[in-house]
Amino acid sequence: MEPLLNGLSLIFLDPFNIMLIFIGVLVGVVIGALPGLSSPMAVALLLPFTIGLEPIPAIAMLASLYCAGTFGGSITAILINAPGAPPAVATAFDGYPMAKRGEAGRALGMAAVSSVCGGVFSLVIFLLATPLLAKIANQFQPADYFALAVFALSMLASISGKSSTRNLISGLAGVLIGTIGIHLTTGVERFTFGVADLTDGVHFVPVLIGLFAMGELLTQSTAANVVLERITSVVVRLPSRADLKKVRMTILRSCGIGTFIGILPAEGSTIAAIMGYNEAKRFSKNKEEFGKGAIEGIAGPEAANNAAAGGAMVPTLALGIPGSGTTAIILAALIMHGLRPGPHLMNETPHFIYAIFGAMMLANIMFLGIGLAGAKFFARITMIPRTILWPSVFVFSLIGAYAGSSSLFDVWVMLIAGLIGFVMLRHGFGPAPFVMGLILGKLIEESLSQSMIIFDNNWLMFFERPFAVGFFALTILGLFWGQFMRGLGYLRSKIGKTPLDRGD
Amino acid sequence: MTRQDENSSSVESGTGETPRSPSALVHMLDLKLTVVILIICGIFYYLTTQFEEVSPLLTQNIPPEWFPRLLLWSIVVLSVSLPFEHRFIKGGKERLDSDRLHRIPSMVLITIGLLSVVVASVYVVGTFFAMIFVCAALPLLWGERRWKILVPYAIIFPLIIAFIFTQVLRVYFQPGLYGISF
Repeated sequence: MEPLLNGLSLIFLDPFNIMLIFIGVLVGVVIGALPGLSSPMAVALLLPFTIGLEPIPAIAMLASLYCAGTFGGSITAILINAPGAPPAVATAFDGYPMAKRGEAGRALGMAAVSSVCGGVFSLVIFLLATPLLAKIANQFQPADYFALAVFALSMLASISGKSSTRNLISGLAGVLIGTIGIHLTTGVERFTFGVADLTDGVHFVPVLIGLFAMGELLTQSTAANVVLERITSVVVRLPSRADLKKVRMTILRSCGIGTFIGILPAEGSTIAAIMGYNEAKRFSKNKEEFGKGAIEGIAGPEAANNAAAGGAMVPTLALGIPGSGTTAIILAALIMHGLRPGPHLMNETPHFIYAIFGAMMLANIMFLGIGLAGAKFFARITMIPRTILWPSVFVFSLIGAYAGSSSLFDVWVMLIAGLIGFVMLRHGFGPAPFVMGLILGKLIEESLSQSMIIFDNNWLMFFERPFAVGFFALTILGLFWGQFMRGLGYLRSKIGKTPLDRGD
Repeated sequence: MTRQDENSSSVESGTGETPRSPSALVHMLDLKLTVVILIICGIFYYLTTQFEEVSPLLTQNIPPEWFPRLLLWSIVVLSVSLPFEHRFIKGGKERLDSDRLHRIPSMVLITIGLLSVVVASVYVVGTFFAMIFVCAALPLLWGERRWKILVPYAIIFPLIIAFIFTQVLRVYFQPGLYGISF
């Protein structure tokens, strides 16, 4: 109980931390609202601003931005049919039709309330699950960590993007880039090409900024003059009692779905939102209204995507395995601030975990107020011309990449990473698995090497560890489930066809 | 193979089924992509042979090149399947090609060139002037001609950023050859 109170007091009794959380929420809603600017990009761009801060306020600010950014995307999804962030894609299906028929305020109000419900629900689970998961993780040996990291990579690869093979290659390439620098056991330089800046390895921050911000900037350069249709007459109002009664079960269901998906090491919020929408439709009595402006079509995805944001923090803090692309960057921030993510964090500094919980809870309350009061203003933010917005993003990227180590080499790394990210996206290789691979690279190599030394180079001994076997089984299931189900469907269709059907 | 060739090769067989043309079996663009990946892997593999040799006592049977090679082999194995992948994934070729149907627009290449010039110019003009340069040049390149917006933006925005980073966050800005570090 004492660490919990300590952690909460660090947030709620410190005006400076409250101010930082407010800034994080404000920036999160603004960036989330701007089409093209996503949460991972926002967190990557804000990371350099936290350099001079203590770890708790720094991570609290980033976590607040993550929560608010997920909600911010819904504003533009509803008002201009251009989801500010991928998790808000499903919100646009019914949000925009509602806005078009003059119910933008009602839609925004429902989005805000559902988001807060999802966020608060997942944080309660966060509070309960993180210590439990950390307790289990205490029993992990290097082989289990290796299997868990492989599972995390495979989950991200199989769920996100166009092809799991391409995403796996992307993840492995990230791990490979993570091997650049001095090999810790032997002191041998690997892939440094004689460049002194590479002996420490490739820094996370410039790569993250390059992949998420520069890659998108290059994509946007082809559509700088696109003008979006806007709904400007907005009077936001809280959902009525009748509305809340109608959507309460949808919200509750989506809270569960979102939190569960978020805890899984994969691309949390977007998948959760789509599942939340689908389930809302499946259980609805008015299925025909979906796509034309059903209020449940907003509540479902919004509760789910914000619940996933809280859920994704659980494996990030308890295991050191990111639950999503954005939490991968938060994990990088934890490392940058000298913290050791994983069960040690819970064992050594439990108040830190609870402080993050407090910050995210506060952020959820704040964005309800900010979102409702400022929706009209945020809608206007989308009127910033892209010809001004994206050069500003480049300036932030330039300074962000530079500020970490005051090195122009890192700026070149950022630029090259952006170019690679652009080419990767074109060919269907996701940037999120690459980032996950880069961040988990060290853990994967160390745990594999340690395991091989312990097992005396006998691979089969991996299968004597129950946790490792479980994670490997989940990996195989995750990677091949789709193919398995398709194969099964194909077989069924073949068997189901009678000779008459086949025309014999 | 042209589209006509593809059509002519898809002659109906005696069974009434349309045989798959060779182009449908292998995705040519992905084949080229695989070749590029294999070449990169080959280069990296060669580099692993150039690592310093270490005593086995120190390596404990896990030499420094072991893990990168394991990754490279895994990438090679996965890459080999890429030219055939469109046959197995949902949505097939259309899904894989949705973002690469068109050539990379020249504006993207010009933007990359401009951004590279901006980064290189930091060594000469310093960080602050490089920011002003990009805030003026990039909007102009992308077609912005509203001078009343552009001029104040190109001056005020870099000033704010420079103030926050140098005065509040104490980040050292490159002064460039003219020694102006803000």
